[in-house]
Amino acid sequence: MHNSSSAAANPPPPSSSKPSSDASLKRKRGMFQKDLQHMMYGFGDDPNPLPETVALLEDIVVEYVTDLVHKAQDIATKRGKLLTEDFLYLVRKDTPKLHRCTELLSMNEELKQARKAFEVDEEKLATGD
Amino acid sequence: MAKMQAILSQFTEEQMSRYESFRRSGFQKANMRRILASIIGSQKVSMPMTIVISGIAKMFVGELIETGRMIMAERKEMGPIRPCHIREAFRRLKLEGKIPKQSVPRLFR
Repeated sequence: MHNSSSAAANPPPPSSSKPSSDASLKRKRGMFQKDLQHMMYGFGDDPNPLPETVALLEDIVVEYVTDLVHKAQDIATKRGKLLTEDFLYLVRKDTPKLHRCTELLSMNEELKQARKAFEVDEEKLATGD
Repeated sequence: MAKMQAILSQFTEEQMSRYESFRRSGFQKANMRRILASIIGSQKVSMPMTIVISGIAKMFVGELIETGRMIMAERKEMGPIRPCHIREAFRRLKLEGKIPKQSVPRLFR
């Protein structure tokens, strides 16, 4: 009796529909799907955006971020390391974005200081008693 | 500050819900970090950098959606935003120079 060696189901051929913009980036589809849906609604879309629109936006955003980072790296390599300031430089002409970035950075600093102060107080309480 | 309070107090329920989504939505830091690490090629992406890029990306999404809605208004179309609107919005933003382009042509796409 022949043992028909039925090969286990072959893994599906590598998807050729992945965006080819970055060969090393094998990201999952729909990484930002949930986030994007809330964002799109917040900015004016339907409460339930179309899936194809969400997918397109995700592709566009990833490409945008990729190009942004590459541009920042082009600037940074002249000096050395890639810094946050390089991104501030890139958006310097886009006033709303620049303001938002500086706002986010100072909020982050404030939170860091607040957390540090909280830890110091905790220590004082612990040793004081 | 006071102006914001005045405006918010006049919001309908739908406007409030939308505004809440607008304020709270954002790109997951972990996911964004992962993508940035793979683009930069190093594992360590600082928190401030992730925050800044997420902020820029969110505003970019806003520009696309708002421009998309403008285009729908021009075409007198209703309903959810469709990919063709986003593509047209992207094209217009490109003309305005808001999209970073590679100055060196990518040879091996």
